Amino acid sequence: MTLQIDHSLAFAAAPALPSPLEHLRDPRTRAALRVQQALVAGARAYLRADDAVEMAHPIIGPVTDPGSRGAKQVDVDFYGHRYKLMTSAILYKQASLLAYDRIFLIAPNVRLEPVETSTTNRHLAEFRQIDVEYAGATRDDAMDIAEGLVRHAVTTVADECGAELAVLGRDPDTLRRFVARPFARVPHGEVVERLRRDGYPQAEGTEIEWEAEERVSRQAEAPFFVVGYPKGSRGFYDKESPAEPGTLLNFDLIAPESCGELCSGSERESEYAALVTRMRETGENPAKYAWYLDVARHGIPRSGGFGIGLERLTRWVAGLDSVWQATAFPKLAGVVSP
Amino acid sequence: MTYLTAPGLPEDAIRARARDGSAAVFPPLDSYGTAVFGGTREPGDEIDALRLAPPVFMPGRLAQLIELGREPLYSDVRLTTGLGGFDAPLPVYVSALGSTRVAGTSLALSRQAGRLGIPMVIGENVAPMNGFRSSGDDHRKGLLERILAYCEELPDGVGGLCVQQSTEDADSEVWNHVYSDSAVSGLLASGRLGFEMKVGQGAKPGLGGLTMISEAVAADLEGQYAVERLTDGGAVLRCSSPGTFTDEIFRRQIQLMRNNYPRARCWVKLFPGRDVGHAADIAWDSGAHAVTVDGAEGGTGWAPTGFLGHVGLPLAECLRRVEPAGRTLLASGRVWDGIRAVKLLALGARAVGLGRAALVAADEDPVHGLERLLDAMALEMRMAVSSLGRYAADETGPEDLWRPES
Repeated sequence: MTLQIDHSLAFAAAPALPSPLEHLRDPRTRAALRVQQALVAGARAYLRADDAVEMAHPIIGPVTDPGSRGAKQVDVDFYGHRYKLMTSAILYKQASLLAYDRIFLIAPNVRLEPVETSTTNRHLAEFRQIDVEYAGATRDDAMDIAEGLVRHAVTTVADECGAELAVLGRDPDTLRRFVARPFARVPHGEVVERLRRDGYPQAEGTEIEWEAEERVSRQAEAPFFVVGYPKGSRGFYDKESPAEPGTLLNFDLIAPESCGELCSGSERESEYAALVTRMRETGENPAKYAWYLDVARHGIPRSGGFGIGLERLTRWVAGLDSVWQATAFPKLAGVVSP
Repeated sequence: MTYLTAPGLPEDAIRARARDGSAAVFPPLDSYGTAVFGGTREPGDEIDALRLAPPVFMPGRLAQLIELGREPLYSDVRLTTGLGGFDAPLPVYVSALGSTRVAGTSLALSRQAGRLGIPMVIGENVAPMNGFRSSGDDHRKGLLERILAYCEELPDGVGGLCVQQSTEDADSEVWNHVYSDSAVSGLLASGRLGFEMKVGQGAKPGLGGLTMISEAVAADLEGQYAVERLTDGGAVLRCSSPGTFTDEIFRRQIQLMRNNYPRARCWVKLFPGRDVGHAADIAWDSGAHAVTVDGAEGGTGWAPTGFLGHVGLPLAECLRRVEPAGRTLLASGRVWDGIRAVKLLALGARAVGLGRAALVAADEDPVHGLERLLDAMALEMRMAVSSLGRYAADETGPEDLWRPES
């Protein structure tokens, strides 16, 4: 039985965003965007050295990642057909492994998140991801790659962005210390147990709630992985553990300092019948995914991969209060902005 | 009164209540002193055949006497209840009305249900068929129009609105759209928004939604629904997919609803299948706030006549197979009066759904029809519950019923 807990129904009002005049002239914004550039350069260098091919993926398509937690997709009228703006590149990432064994992309995504996310400090309606997919990778392999990539990107910033970090009041040695040791890998159930022991009413069998995630992030001394989220909390493409039915072979990477989730990933489901069944379990209509299922029916390579939120990574590394500060033209849920 | 008919229901009696309210609970008032009454009505189903069986000795009435310091009356019966996360002035909600043409009285119904604080369900396929925001067709109102009509009238502290999502609705992301639309922010903040996963309905178990549409509309929908041309050049049957469920698919979909919409109530509507008890248990265990069982007597906008007569378990049999054990069970199927409602409560339901009867009442009088029908139901329920020596609707139980075969 899944323990469900009913939640407070109130949430805080969304923050007012500064005008572009104010935001873009702010030395902290400029420094943060420079840090972001170094993070991207570090990630690219790491992945290219690993023989991964950078691809440019579609921005629109007949279907996209269904996502979860109530985020809306954006419809585009494509010559009379209803297309979607990409919420993530996952379907194309899996299909791209037909061309190369290792791929990555720096991809824009649009998710019209529920309005209560405007106050979490870590949700944007428009954001970028460092998306990675490796054929044949297990969950452990995918976490190894994510860990190596984050360590390399953070070290790049610490080595190359001394002036920017000074503007931001961030000590490069603090960053180096954060990534010096291997990242811990903690089962989802253990995190839930710890939260409940601390008096937080976290439900079993669901996502770690946003407030709870901030709490575990605040308590962390370094980035760490939460592994094995329950089925019913994530998309159909996260593979179910054969050894632990009901548990997914997936993970989130949680940053310290209250920044929360940086990255989600998993070993992927690639088997056609399992994908169709999992689509139904997530309330999806398989007919909508015709092109993807057609590819899957003919054989998608087994794979593992992840997507790192670029603005979230920047927010953490730059020591910003909120993720919107890590983008030049922020879009928050429900907030009208340029 | 417009075009609406309701074969199988005592439509004249419902219309009389929608016109006359509580007065219609009794024989015509002008017959008093000139007529005598007796006998029983023809039983329609097993629930109609049941009789409420008041006891002679009533410790419950004594308890109420002590509490009040005077002899209790039927008017002391408490009908207010909590159902599926909502509070209601009586154990009644308005069942799902979908995109079918007869649901076109939906705005009038939404306003009345809202004004009375009666929880209401908006049916599947409304958004893909009629649009999310609005529609020019008087008979087909957009989803948000129905929501707003309800909310504009809704008093504080009672009621609630549930929105269904079918497989085709999932393509249109109905729940995602509703959840983050400013139209429902008041409902969300006060815990009065719910989502109902529709597994099926009583009148056509195992089938999806069916509506008749014109050839012009069919051309737009052919990729989205199955369409069946029943006559040459005539109207076209539009068929929704019923959706595929196994116990695992069912469990995970409910968990995903709770995961994705933590601020919304989660309802599940089951058709009268032979494994309805097992399905209800899974739904509750997976986090559903309410499970609705729609018996084979349940209404519909359109169904094959063979299904109406021969497919699905009767509501009484469904209720035998479901064990709520303190969890919220809602029952619907040919409910229009207070006596049937009290029988269903005694069989384990927390509240009963008004479908066709609500439509007929709103059709009879778009402003006050539902209100009067509910006034009549409330009076009957209070009288029936008090006759059993109970003073709250949720205190009734199977011992209050007599079955002809027993």
